[in-house]
Amino acid sequence: MRRFLGNLKLSFFLAFKSIKKGNRWALALIIVVMAFSFINLIFTTSIISGVMTTMDSQMVNAVFSNLIISPPQDKYYIEHADEIEAKVVQVAGIGAVSSHLIASGFIESGWKEKAFPWEKVKSGTWNVVGIDPEREAGVTTIGHSMIQGTYLEKNDTDKIILGVEIAGGAFAQTSNFLTLGGIGVGDKVRVTYSNGIVREYTIKGIFRARETMQADHLAFVSRREMVSILGRSQFYNRASEILVKTNAGASENRLVSDLQAIAPGCEIRSWKDYGGTYRSVISTFEIISTIIGSTGLLVAAIVMFIIIYINVLSKKRQIGILRAIGIPRQAVLGSYLVQALIYASAGILLGWLLMRLVIQPYFIVNPIDFPFGYLSLHIESGRLIGSAIGLTAAAVLAGLIPSWSVMRESIIKAIWGV
Amino acid sequence: MIAVRNLHKIYGHGRGMVYALKGVELDIKPGEFVAIMGRSSSGKSTLLRIMGLLDLPTRGELFIDGIDMLKLSESEKARFRLEKLGYVFQEQSLITELTVLENVYLPAVAELGRNGYKKHAEDILEVVGLSDKTGHYPDEISGGEQQRVAIARALINQPRILFADEPTANLDEESARIVLDLFCKLNRQLRQTIVMVTHEPEDKKYVDRVIWIKEGLVETAYSDSPV
Repeated sequence: MRRFLGNLKLSFFLAFKSIKKGNRWALALIIVVMAFSFINLIFTTSIISGVMTTMDSQMVNAVFSNLIISPPQDKYYIEHADEIEAKVVQVAGIGAVSSHLIASGFIESGWKEKAFPWEKVKSGTWNVVGIDPEREAGVTTIGHSMIQGTYLEKNDTDKIILGVEIAGGAFAQTSNFLTLGGIGVGDKVRVTYSNGIVREYTIKGIFRARETMQADHLAFVSRREMVSILGRSQFYNRASEILVKTNAGASENRLVSDLQAIAPGCEIRSWKDYGGTYRSVISTFEIISTIIGSTGLLVAAIVMFIIIYINVLSKKRQIGILRAIGIPRQAVLGSYLVQALIYASAGILLGWLLMRLVIQPYFIVNPIDFPFGYLSLHIESGRLIGSAIGLTAAAVLAGLIPSWSVMRESIIKAIWGV
Repeated sequence: MIAVRNLHKIYGHGRGMVYALKGVELDIKPGEFVAIMGRSSSGKSTLLRIMGLLDLPTRGELFIDGIDMLKLSESEKARFRLEKLGYVFQEQSLITELTVLENVYLPAVAELGRNGYKKHAEDILEVVGLSDKTGHYPDEISGGEQQRVAIARALINQPRILFADEPTANLDEESARIVLDLFCKLNRQLRQTIVMVTHEPEDKKYVDRVIWIKEGLVETAYSDSPV
């Protein structure tokens, strides 16, 4: 134990002296290389993590909310929707509830202007969702995503709001010929529902939820309007689905089982279960992220290995002299290990400070405008710790292997090269 | 104290084999100041390095204080070098990143629990006449001063034996005289055993005994001139 402590003391002594008297520029270079290696590990994965986080939050905020109550497998609608909503909202951990009544609609614009009945107008088939606008505002962000006009009100019956991918125009990602061609607020659309009922609506607003897969391809009317289309006597208390917003920190899995008792027979799932396409995209991103992270770590390890190897080679004779005067092998090895740890720690600290104080704030002020939303870096603490551990382990190996290889040579060869 | 028996050292393989030592037999008593002399490539430095535990013989035996040195492990040999031996090299052998004082007390740092090593290092530096250079780095002092620092470093752990491999070879006359006077002082006053390789005939006057090496063999170990 005493020898171990003696060697440890000597390792720290030699390491600190080597760093103190060594070339300042070389030291700065090593630390900067470490810092950028660390940033490289964190930055790319933070971007990918930011993509995943943004896509997840878009799904929750614009499409599914947290939990979705769907009709039993053998039915198209949930019966007694009002009662279920009233009970669900009482459950601890539930923040808001909104039922949807969905019908498919053939939407046309400019039909009044056509000269002949056979003339083709801008049109397409999309889902039209009947909502209680106030309740909907509690579960999705559609109401906050209006880029033109205003949101629906409860008693609107001749008004409709359209997703930007239906309306078309400059903000739409969908090709123009697949949209209504860039119609705007105040324009009229005609909707032919699947049950044959035809309604004309004035466009009250156009929203862009930046959820281009689903939400921005929807049209919304008031629930009252949708009930009147589908049949008041049968549909006044039905829903195609009920979206449930949970409070922050509430366990979705626990609430799923709680809701089973309130809506027996209905299918209750988390938003994650519906994000099939997204999930596969996200898991692909996760694989890419892991590959990039591993490659970054390998490159960082190789860079450190080269730097430390050159450093060790330039001190080969000195290592021989240390051994010749009786400095224990472990103490000499330990000094290079301590140096590698100091380089890694300083590099990680500098990299972390650059991320926290420069790069992350920059992306908060200037987020990347992705089609599905504004993207900021999302630094996961687990990834941060993992990268720091990975880089430190790489530094330790990069410090140990070259010094160990020199240490294996005879003292005579190390000093005189014979 | 030092007993060398039938020591052989062969470098290389096959046709490239060089016989550096061909069966050296030698005894050095405690407190002796011995010079090993001989022509270039006679094997004197090889012998010193083997006795100083820096190199291994091809065969033979080496005993120091009755201990069979060749049976020690690498770490045991390192410990023995640290605690019992001092080694002064021909060329600059100081650690460039350490000051004069740090170079001297470096071997003592490993001896945890040993207090006052800095003071001891300062005392030794005073003995070698460098008490005013403690904070200097090796590249800030002359070659002769560097060699005296190396001697001070070799003495810090109060070794039983001091090995010196042509310690004055790269020094001017005055510096060489200072170094040899220092060896004499250590030998006379502290009864320090010193084994020094040298090729300078004038150095004979400083030592108790000269061991002449010729073509890998001890020619004579008990006179001050070759047979």
